[in-house]
Amino acid sequence: MNKFFYLFSEGVKNIWRHKMTALTAMFSLFIALFIVGILATAGNNTYKVLHYLRSKYKVEIFFTQDISNEQAIGLIHKIKKVDGVRNATIIEKEDAVRIFKDQFGENIVELLGYNPLPVSAVVNIDRNRRDPLSIEPIIKKIKMIPNIEEIRYQGNLINKIERNYKKIVDYLPYLSSIVVIIAILIIYNTIKLSVYSRKDLIETLQLVGASSMFIKLPFIIEGMIIGTISAILVFPALFVSIKTINYFISNFSSIGMQINFDPFVLVWILMIVIVISLIGSYRAASRFLK
Amino acid sequence: MIEFQNVSYTHTRGYGVNSLNMSVNDGDFTFLIGPTGSGKTTLMRLIYFDILPDTGLVKVNGIKSSEMKKKKVASARRSIGMVFQDYKLLRDRNLFENVAIPLHVLGFNPKDIPDRVDEALELVGLTGKENHFPYELSGGEQQRASLARAIIKEPDIILADEPTGNLDPVASFELVRLLETIHETGTTILMASHNYNLIKGRGRPIYELKDGVLRIR
Repeated sequence: MNKFFYLFSEGVKNIWRHKMTALTAMFSLFIALFIVGILATAGNNTYKVLHYLRSKYKVEIFFTQDISNEQAIGLIHKIKKVDGVRNATIIEKEDAVRIFKDQFGENIVELLGYNPLPVSAVVNIDRNRRDPLSIEPIIKKIKMIPNIEEIRYQGNLINKIERNYKKIVDYLPYLSSIVVIIAILIIYNTIKLSVYSRKDLIETLQLVGASSMFIKLPFIIEGMIIGTISAILVFPALFVSIKTINYFISNFSSIGMQINFDPFVLVWILMIVIVISLIGSYRAASRFLK
Repeated sequence: MIEFQNVSYTHTRGYGVNSLNMSVNDGDFTFLIGPTGSGKTTLMRLIYFDILPDTGLVKVNGIKSSEMKKKKVASARRSIGMVFQDYKLLRDRNLFENVAIPLHVLGFNPKDIPDRVDEALELVGLTGKENHFPYELSGGEQQRASLARAIIKEPDIILADEPTGNLDPVASFELVRLLETIHETGTTILMASHNYNLIKGRGRPIYELKDGVLRIR
């Protein structure tokens, strides 16, 4: 027990004795972990962004002139049953006149003496699916319903958004893995350099008969303290960054969404740091033990 | 007791020691002399099991080199105190902390450590310098601090490898006198040096090592 308390206090004292090395290590770790945290948060929010964009997808359906409001309601029930359709809202002939007046400032019935505008519908696409959405099969199925004159939709834009979402879904795990590996290498090399700068200590301890674990333990404790402090510093930094992003989104953009901050990201960062510090300092110290 | 039986060791660069036979009995104070590169440090390293012989047997306090394993080296060194030419003091620790290290390694009760450190520092004449860092001490003082660190655990054997190599003649003479004082407590001492004038006429056995071959002088 005496030995353990001594080794623990040595680990803590070593940080103080080598303040600059410890600060450099903490800063490097902080940067690496901050990037990991930002990427993890971005990954978590990708689907949320897509969910928001999908809510803006709009398909407009115009029925043939001879369809009455009542007949259109029946057709809309059929449209709602099409796989991939979330909702469909009828725009009756009278509503169309009002919309026309709102947009162009003229009453088309007074101008022409009759209402030439057909009954139409606005269809919203199902936005809850996790996999990339393909709009064309939905349009194809809607087109099979009779009495539909024209369908208007932002096909190119929707396809572009869905293609990009697919790319993110496909590549994000690889990108995240690369960043985590880089973070691991930074952590490991920082600890290794810190240990290397004190190889004289290792040599002296070996000469006075210190066991391998006696030599390694203060380095492990030191590495874990530095790692934990870095991780703790990342928490408020991530929190403030996300709050700032949300402030800009809500005050300087028309996007009606906020970035979520998942507490699990913090738990993951802390776990990564503890495991890497443990393995890194153990391996680095072992490297200099003959 | 230190015993060498037909010990040979060759470094990768060629030099080393060749067919050494030597014995240092418990309580002896023995000098080892020889020019730089003659194999003195190699012989010392064989004693504290930093290297193991290619052929032959080294026996230290009953521990045989033939039975030595990596895990046993640390415990074998606990009964050996070592003093080196470059002191090997830790620059980021004060004198007290440097001297106390072996006691922490041995798991001493922290309450007993200050008294033992004071005792060791008093013996080497460094009382009052506990809070000084190595760079605040002269070469002679650093070497005495290194000696205090070696004797604090009351080892059976003290190995001093060129301990006067960086010291002026007066400090060198004082250090040998100090080693002789420690030897009076029954500690076995083996001191390597290339300075024959410093060790001659002291009535102690002197081994001479030249080109890796040992002879009694």
